[in-house]
Amino acid sequence: MSDLLQLLFNGLSVGAVYALFALGYTLVFSVLGVINFSHGAVFTLGGYFTYLLIGGAVGANGLLAHAQLPFALPFWLALPLAGFGSATMALLIERLAFRPLRQRQADPLLALISSLGAGVIIVNLIQLLVGAESYSIPTTALGHLPAAITIGGAQVRSVQLLLLAISVVLLVLLTAWLEGSRNGRGLQAVSEDPVTARLLGIDSDGMIRLAFGLSGFLAGVAGGLVGLSISIAGPYFGIGYGLKGLGVLVLGGLGSVPGAMLGGLIIGLAEACVPADWSGYKDAVSYGFLFLVLLLRPQGLLGKALPTKV
Amino acid sequence: MDATLLQQMLLGALLALSVYLPLRCGQLSLATPGFYAVGGYVAALLSTQVPLLAGSGSTSPLWALLLEMLLAGLLCGLLALGIGRVVLRLRGIYLAIATIALVEILRVLNLNLPFTGGATGIFAIPQPFATPLGYAGFTLVLLLAVCWLCAQLEQLRLGRAMAAIRDDELASASLGIDTQRVKVLAFVASAVLAGLTGAIAAHFLNSWNARLGSFDASVTTLAFVVFGGSRLWLGPVIGGLLLTALPELLRPVGDLRLIIFGLVILAGPVLFPQGLITPERLAAVRRHWPAGRSPEPVP
Repeated sequence: MSDLLQLLFNGLSVGAVYALFALGYTLVFSVLGVINFSHGAVFTLGGYFTYLLIGGAVGANGLLAHAQLPFALPFWLALPLAGFGSATMALLIERLAFRPLRQRQADPLLALISSLGAGVIIVNLIQLLVGAESYSIPTTALGHLPAAITIGGAQVRSVQLLLLAISVVLLVLLTAWLEGSRNGRGLQAVSEDPVTARLLGIDSDGMIRLAFGLSGFLAGVAGGLVGLSISIAGPYFGIGYGLKGLGVLVLGGLGSVPGAMLGGLIIGLAEACVPADWSGYKDAVSYGFLFLVLLLRPQGLLGKALPTKV
Repeated sequence: MDATLLQQMLLGALLALSVYLPLRCGQLSLATPGFYAVGGYVAALLSTQVPLLAGSGSTSPLWALLLEMLLAGLLCGLLALGIGRVVLRLRGIYLAIATIALVEILRVLNLNLPFTGGATGIFAIPQPFATPLGYAGFTLVLLLAVCWLCAQLEQLRLGRAMAAIRDDELASASLGIDTQRVKVLAFVASAVLAGLTGAIAAHFLNSWNARLGSFDASVTTLAFVVFGGSRLWLGPVIGGLLLTALPELLRPVGDLRLIIFGLVILAGPVLFPQGLITPERLAAVRRHWPAGRSPEPVP
């Protein structure tokens, strides 16, 4: 029983991060119909921002070797600030890699390439500035929280609980905002039909910027949380999450917010269930799911089936 | 020019053509690096495990390379036939995501199967050619042959069917084109080409591992096509040659080179949404130099 509970907590805390990550993809996909391939790099950036803001020092490599901010913020303050930093970067990417293509009414698929170019630039800038080594955010950043607590016989790291709690709060807030606020409903209207939304007086460009900002914020927070619970394994560590996020995205249904959450939790749990002897194959779980879903139910678990337009 | 760089550029051009073939009938498939990796493993395993093909162990006969390429192409083609029939029911971004997943599944398999050498991969693959120039000559012949086939395709019924599906799949189906068959054919041809390229690359690089067929490679090869232009076969060839050379040519700027590479990938689609080579630009060049004039009208 305690083993099962342990598995459940491990799976859910990983899955919650996947969900945050996939939500960022979904927000942008729902308004533009393209996948933002720089999302993984923005996530990585969030991890680094968090590390620097809590007062972490840069290692021996890179142009900023041994640099350190003159202040050290507590983790609960550093995390949202890192989220805002990542959101700013996402807005910059929208301005440079997405908006020019939209203005020229170019093939939306081109944004796959231009956003990827933005990702390549960010990842290599990070490497240039702070080097390729891995950083970890010390759990002492959390203050006096105990390292682990026992729930029903299962040892649960408090970091995992925190991660789960923050993700759930963010997911609930986002859903409430999308359903309840004027901007949230505007965003939904643009994702339904941008032309009609514009006719109804909704600022489509503003909504697109909003989607990018939110997606960057969620990615940055997710990056900081992973940095705390595992580590920031060098500038490339977001890429793996970026690809798994695609699996989550398709499983839940492209453009579906509750779908992204459900997909994240399912894949997190499924990965936790892979036995240790087969751990090499763990990374394939998400893609296996993705394949099955695409073949059996292409609109995803919670997505809407679109009729083919003639 | 350095023959090693030339060989890399030629391999890049072949991979770009492999991405171009499905795109010619409107299908965005990113599966090329997956089949490239499989083709490389076929050549690497055969030439290190089968004594007859291994030659002296450090050098191997040319016929062995040709046989390995045949088998690599065959395996990739069969794989693509099975997978293509299923995934080509998907459209647009869904197909792109499914093929990314396919590449990742193949990568995880290559990393974990008992005979592929794990993370270190396969080493000391024997050399059919003594110099990089030998490789470049051989690869150039293959590239020219593939270019010739692609140019022929423009005239053939099959090529026109591909273009029709690209422009409007439903309308082509209603005109009696078996769209699924054409799409699967293009997918299989793309996989065979990637497999052949992988078999050459495994010998050329002397070692082979799972990292060679990753998501990064999917995107780089797609960038070749987008950068060069996807409307004529010349576009991917030019894109593959130029973009493979770029990081090497930028080596003098040191750490900045990958950042500049990223800038090029970012700015390319924004500045040239159609790619460098378009039928219009080609026609303008022909008007300028009437010697190379061709009677065909601009589509």
